[in-house]
Amino acid sequence: MSKMIGTAVSRKDGRAKVTGTATYSAEHIIPGLVHGYVITATVANGQIRAIDTREAERAPGVIAVFTHKNAPKMFMPSNDFQRSKIYEARLPLSDNKIHYAGQIIGLVVADTFERARYAAHLVKADYDTQTPVVEAKKASFKEAPPQMGEELKFEKGNLAAGMSGAASKIEATYTTSTELHAPMEPHAIVAHWQGGSLTVYEPSQWVMASQRTYGELFGIPSERVRIVTPYLGGAFGCKAFPWPHGILAAAAARQVKRPLKVVLSRRQMTANTGHRSETEQTVRLAATSDGVLTAIGHDVKSATSPVDVFAEPCTAITPVMYAAPNLQLKQELAVMNVGTPTFMRAPGENPGMWALESAMDELAWSLKIDPVELRLKNEAKQHQRKGLPFSAKHFAECLRTGAEQFGWKERPQQVRSLTRDGKLVGWGMAAATFPGYRGRASVKVRLLPDGTVHVLTAGNDMGTGAYTVVAITAADALGVPVEKVKVELGDSLLPDGGLAGGSQMTATLAPAIMTACQEILKSAKCTTAGEACTALQQSRRAAFEATASAAPGEETKKWAFQSWGAHFCEVTLDEEIGRLRVTRWLSVMDVGRVINTKAAASQVRGGVIMGIGQALMEECHFDPNSGYPVVYDLATYHFPAHADAPRIEVTFVGEPDRAFNPAGVRGVGEIGITGVSAAIANAVYHATGKRFRSLPLTPDKLISG
Amino acid sequence: MKNFSYVRATSVKDAVQKASGTTDALFIAGGTNLVDRMKVFLDQPSQLIDITRLELNRIEPVAGGLRIGALVSNTAVADHPIVRRDYPLLARAILLGASQQIRNVATAGGNLLQRTRCPYYYDTAFSCNKRQPGSGCAALTGINRMHALFGASDACVAVHPSDMCIPLAALGSVVEVEGPKGKRQIPFTEFHRLPGNTPERDSNLEPGELITAIVLPPVPFAKSGVYLKLRDRASYAFALISVAAAVDVSGGQIQQARLAMGGVAHKPWRLTEAEAFLQGKPATAETFQQAAEVALKGAKPLEYNGFKVDLAKRAIRRSLTIAAKGGGIA
Repeated sequence: MSKMIGTAVSRKDGRAKVTGTATYSAEHIIPGLVHGYVITATVANGQIRAIDTREAERAPGVIAVFTHKNAPKMFMPSNDFQRSKIYEARLPLSDNKIHYAGQIIGLVVADTFERARYAAHLVKADYDTQTPVVEAKKASFKEAPPQMGEELKFEKGNLAAGMSGAASKIEATYTTSTELHAPMEPHAIVAHWQGGSLTVYEPSQWVMASQRTYGELFGIPSERVRIVTPYLGGAFGCKAFPWPHGILAAAAARQVKRPLKVVLSRRQMTANTGHRSETEQTVRLAATSDGVLTAIGHDVKSATSPVDVFAEPCTAITPVMYAAPNLQLKQELAVMNVGTPTFMRAPGENPGMWALESAMDELAWSLKIDPVELRLKNEAKQHQRKGLPFSAKHFAECLRTGAEQFGWKERPQQVRSLTRDGKLVGWGMAAATFPGYRGRASVKVRLLPDGTVHVLTAGNDMGTGAYTVVAITAADALGVPVEKVKVELGDSLLPDGGLAGGSQMTATLAPAIMTACQEILKSAKCTTAGEACTALQQSRRAAFEATASAAPGEETKKWAFQSWGAHFCEVTLDEEIGRLRVTRWLSVMDVGRVINTKAAASQVRGGVIMGIGQALMEECHFDPNSGYPVVYDLATYHFPAHADAPRIEVTFVGEPDRAFNPAGVRGVGEIGITGVSAAIANAVYHATGKRFRSLPLTPDKLISG
Repeated sequence: MKNFSYVRATSVKDAVQKASGTTDALFIAGGTNLVDRMKVFLDQPSQLIDITRLELNRIEPVAGGLRIGALVSNTAVADHPIVRRDYPLLARAILLGASQQIRNVATAGGNLLQRTRCPYYYDTAFSCNKRQPGSGCAALTGINRMHALFGASDACVAVHPSDMCIPLAALGSVVEVEGPKGKRQIPFTEFHRLPGNTPERDSNLEPGELITAIVLPPVPFAKSGVYLKLRDRASYAFALISVAAAVDVSGGQIQQARLAMGGVAHKPWRLTEAEAFLQGKPATAETFQQAAEVALKGAKPLEYNGFKVDLAKRAIRRSLTIAAKGGGIA
């Protein structure tokens, strides 16, 4: 056993992807397919006074033009997360109101994409407009409601008492900018009605929820809906539920009685497929002279849209990271005329760790204590909100291993003390963390006489490596080569595989796969797959087959499950011209047992690179007058190019978390981005002696600091 | 949908003739900017005249300088041994622009005619005098972080996006064009226009005129010239500020200087006053700082781009320092 788990396996879907045979949503070709192009609002707050579609309707190839005046039929789903969920709690085209610029106000259906796009351009909308609120400084903030059933506020002890009389105190405000998902695969849908049944080809991180949701949206049983998502080109949280364009496309397809494809442009995606809200966070820390925390305060502000509630839950990490007798968390939310924000790679954890880990660095400097030491001294043994001990926590090992591998003790304890080629050099570190989530899943495994193994589940591979992880887990359990395992994912016809989100797909699927494989051997009355194959050949049966389900249980009442990590980095700054480069990176991660070291390391690298984007360049501006995003496409919305990414070393602790699940895995995907921006800003402080508290660290800020 | 016809020109004369015959025909070579614009309805020509087969793809020495055919790819210009040896700042500027794939297809002539990347120009949701004369300039009171410091008007605050054009302006190049009225030469700094009240016109090309070549004059001290580009990421981003600089230093004294800036105006911004200031001065940090002050005199920052004044001074100082020391990567 366990010969495969923990090895480096190249992704099973790699060849299909590089040769173009992996079929993404927009690539499904159905005879009779017609094309839709959405029409979007050019103002951010107002009402449509008049909308003239006549010219568009007369344009060649146009089949239909939908606006709020002739919206295709759809029903409000329960939208309660258990049964169904849509990203935006307002159905598209429900009325003439405009809540944000880029909101969908219509759809043109035509025989070709080009003709649909052209006709969409001919639709003229007149608006009554009110001044939009797109700047946080002009917004009004109120206490944020609980997020996903979890309170964002929390208090224990007395913050003021903990702060007063402390040997060292930090109080500082940190900000992050609005960030866009910009996944490589744009949002797209092909909707195909046959009789009363709907097939949806759409990038979905959760095909079973999507199936139920589309069923409710169109008043049909979910059994009459099929969601097909074999491949996703990146999702990061923005492809878990239907967005307005998908709902509208499916509704329009039903009405025009043709299979319909809608692909959003990059421009459209800047406004109406989710983003990470800007945040403003004030952190208060107090400590004794030897660096023991006595108080932590964390106040957070973020913004949501007028049509849904999403608070970037930054305070979730605060009771997890460091122990303090006095702890106070507050979170506020404002409604602004911007598109609906949503989950984006480590929602809450990422901006939360930016603020907390920057403040911890400030505290370390003020106490003249090594920042690694300060973290070791204060690590929380239990989840301070849940009151539960952490299971299989190896945070200290991440810090110690990282410090050793990076050579941290060589770091001079003075700012502006390292230079190279005329540039300032700085070293920084920060912690990383992400909860261990696990869902319920069912998996079907089949063993064929020739030793081929089929694994089938509706769970998704977002491009993260689930195909390979599933294959390795089954190969390991049955003792067959990975090449003999064929994996089918992302189709609602298959057994419910749960949600690919919250970094939980591996922890969700692996226990079910292991159980199904054991069931096969048991039903074959064999101890190895080889014996079972011989038994199949002798009995002339087609296959041994088993379906198993697995779900979290009583352990969640005994333990808090959390992954941990530490980032160490080097930056160089050409101070005169504000040119900052990240030149070296090491991440040490405690994510439980690692199934595929290659894919897991890639996930961490991807997170680090995305974090470099947040730290150095990512920023969506909204036009102060119209409220429209001013970034236009992948050229104007900057994220890291290859030249921005250094070599990134990744080390795993690798200790299994058996209390969490029988596979001992906690999953990896989001943790990599947490703490990255703080590690960089902390390194910039070491290089320059200047503390930057507002992201991104663009040249204008770096020369003015 | 507005269809367009596509024709292939067989000679420069044929191309000019075809362009003169219709009012809204456009030449297409690499198409790396034009096709993008057509996709979002910024350009809706009735006809595209493909000039890629014309014999304008040679680089040849002329009178101590170099003539670069209009159809030579950006990559080929940057890779040419004479360009690399005698005009390294030009090679560097090209290599810091776009991506390898785009540079392989984009042409020298097309580089001059690429249009601003002002996001307010690109999205029809915003008012833009360049796209629709008389509609107003949303960038003037919008997010104008990338916009002009010099030569802008209330009608337009956009900047020219090219890197390649900055050393071409600094070096005093000449643009050769051919049109219905024959051939003419346009000094590089007179090729592009300031926006004034007609921001829809980027250049002084007349209808039907085609760029045939760019001629680089001999500038011996350009061998140590530098191009410095400052931007929001390490690659594939337009300049916040860029500087092309070459100085002729002898015995510690600056004999001549060539200086131009990108990312600051509707055209490549030649800094003639700073060049004149530098002449005869000692090649010292103090001189370079003073030259930077001269160069930025008269800068008119907008709400979000004030930082560019300081950044530009720093970039000029740095570029002159490296150029005076014999050049290299800036």
